[in-house]
Amino acid sequence: MKAVGARLPRYDGIEHVTGRTTYVDDVRVPGMLWVKALRSPVHSAAMSGLDTTKAEAMPGVHAVVTHADVPLLEYGHLSALGIPADEPLLAKDEVRYKGQPIALVAAEDEETALAAVDAITVDFEERTPLLDVRRAFDDDAPTVHQWGNWYTHFEGEMDRRQIRKGSIDDAFEQADVIVQGVYRPAAIEHVPLETQVALVVPEANGRLTIYSCTQALYFSMGVVAAHLQVPLNKLKVVGGTVGGGFGGKVDTATETMCALLAQKSGRPVKWRWTREEEFLCSSTRAPWHMEIADAVTKDGWILGRKMLTLHDSGAYARFSPYGLTKHSFHHTGAYTIPNLSFDGFVVFTNRVPTTAMRGFGVTSVSFATETHMSRIADVLGLDPYEVRLKNANRVGDTSPNRIVYTDPSTVSVVKALAGGMDVELATEYAAMTRDPREGDLLPAHLVGQLGNPEDH
Amino acid sequence: MKLTVNGRPREIEGAPLTTLLHVLREELGVTSPKAGCEQGGCGACTVLVDGEPQRACLTPVGAIDGSEVTTVEGLGAPESLSALQQAFTHHYAAQCGFCTSGMLMAAEAYIARGGTDDREAIQEALAGHVCRCTGYVKIIDAVAAAARGDAFDLTVTAAGTAMTNLGGVS
Repeated sequence: MKAVGARLPRYDGIEHVTGRTTYVDDVRVPGMLWVKALRSPVHSAAMSGLDTTKAEAMPGVHAVVTHADVPLLEYGHLSALGIPADEPLLAKDEVRYKGQPIALVAAEDEETALAAVDAITVDFEERTPLLDVRRAFDDDAPTVHQWGNWYTHFEGEMDRRQIRKGSIDDAFEQADVIVQGVYRPAAIEHVPLETQVALVVPEANGRLTIYSCTQALYFSMGVVAAHLQVPLNKLKVVGGTVGGGFGGKVDTATETMCALLAQKSGRPVKWRWTREEEFLCSSTRAPWHMEIADAVTKDGWILGRKMLTLHDSGAYARFSPYGLTKHSFHHTGAYTIPNLSFDGFVVFTNRVPTTAMRGFGVTSVSFATETHMSRIADVLGLDPYEVRLKNANRVGDTSPNRIVYTDPSTVSVVKALAGGMDVELATEYAAMTRDPREGDLLPAHLVGQLGNPEDH
Repeated sequence: MKLTVNGRPREIEGAPLTTLLHVLREELGVTSPKAGCEQGGCGACTVLVDGEPQRACLTPVGAIDGSEVTTVEGLGAPESLSALQQAFTHHYAAQCGFCTSGMLMAAEAYIARGGTDDREAIQEALAGHVCRCTGYVKIIDAVAAAARGDAFDLTVTAAGTAMTNLGGVS
């Protein structure tokens, strides 16, 4: 354990301060082409008449690719985990979000590539977009996605992530007060200083060397191999140096399309998004809509929680079913509530597809549950620290998905927080530990929910 | 056109309206200035032009014909780190590293014009430099330390690997 408590040099520290770190954009190969994209200018439209002839004929243009060039057009980021594919690499018959890529050009320089993009023609029959998850279930809402307006492929082809625990009806019957809240954190763009970028070099041995800014190298490798329908041994992916990602570089944004252009042109190609593209077209943290209704007692026990979550997935599923699943497991926050009824939907809208960002699916629910804890304290006229300590996870409590807690930290964290804020806790709370609830500390409503940590 | 880049005279072939950032990165192969936004908003491309920090992405190379340009490559190599580079290393001021070049150049100019370890003054000098890893506190710590002239026990081997303070000095 020599490293614990020691000051260790960063393995890349000296490279960073001497300007020697080689990010993807810093890799130099001779003969490299630049890539620019034709993207959808509208949120939702039927598309026809895509014609790249003029662009292909322009001097300095070496390759143009469209949906017709992709061996496997649709592949899902979680296809390998059994979540079906829904997103075409390049739009074919319709566009579902503003900024969706339709065609790409590789040319001698960026100016030529941009001029060639302008020379591509395509017709859009614009449709009314759906931009608000709260309207997705209306009878007259526009249909966003080939599966409808929400994801329908959870286990057993369920159309939602659902959790039922204990008896929610009993909890609401026994409650003194019902405390309700609606929480709607907005989308956040990750804004890494390094925009999305890839450089793909076709090697003489038939392989492609892919320089990628990905946070998830093996995801990217699998996604590229699937779309191109090539075995993994035809791809050499070089990653590991990321100029900021924060979750936004989990999606495979550029590598596959550069690989297609490298194959078609026989030249190294680089696609580096502009800051404007990064803001308008890259995936964001999802906006979430969360409704909570808690059955509580006058003295601050939470007997039960009903919760509805609408996760804005944007136009395609990507990682959202996974994010919502994590969200559902955490929907009681750091607290133990024995009776639960949770329904969460991955809702499609005509926005950019959303993705991971620093605590995928969990920051949203933490924001909602912590705000709600304080709201409960406000409504009951109780101390917000004490409401938290009372309902805090203890050894032997169980999570919404019935994991038995063996090492919960809620009590110590809340006590540290109170200390940091110079809040004096009442004696019984100051003495509280994470030890299992028993004797006088075990309220009747929690008797049935305890698990045995030894079983875990 | 001519520039002196990190002490070395260079002939520039790019058209006068080509950005200094493009000339440095694509023509001269000097890659420490980064193309973070190419619209003057993030600071990652900042270099010194005749000692003054400038956004290379907004500087037409024709406007600075004959100037001296300094980038991070001109501050110090791994075996000869400048005081500021040592301070950044010691204080872990570089996280993903993408903003670091611009931060270093702005801080270098700040210290050269007599900047002190006053944190507000340092913030002012680094205003407009975005660190999206949000490591601002450590960056300001590093600049303040360099401004004070703090000495660091950074033992740098010939291979460029820092083996510093193993054993718990904070």
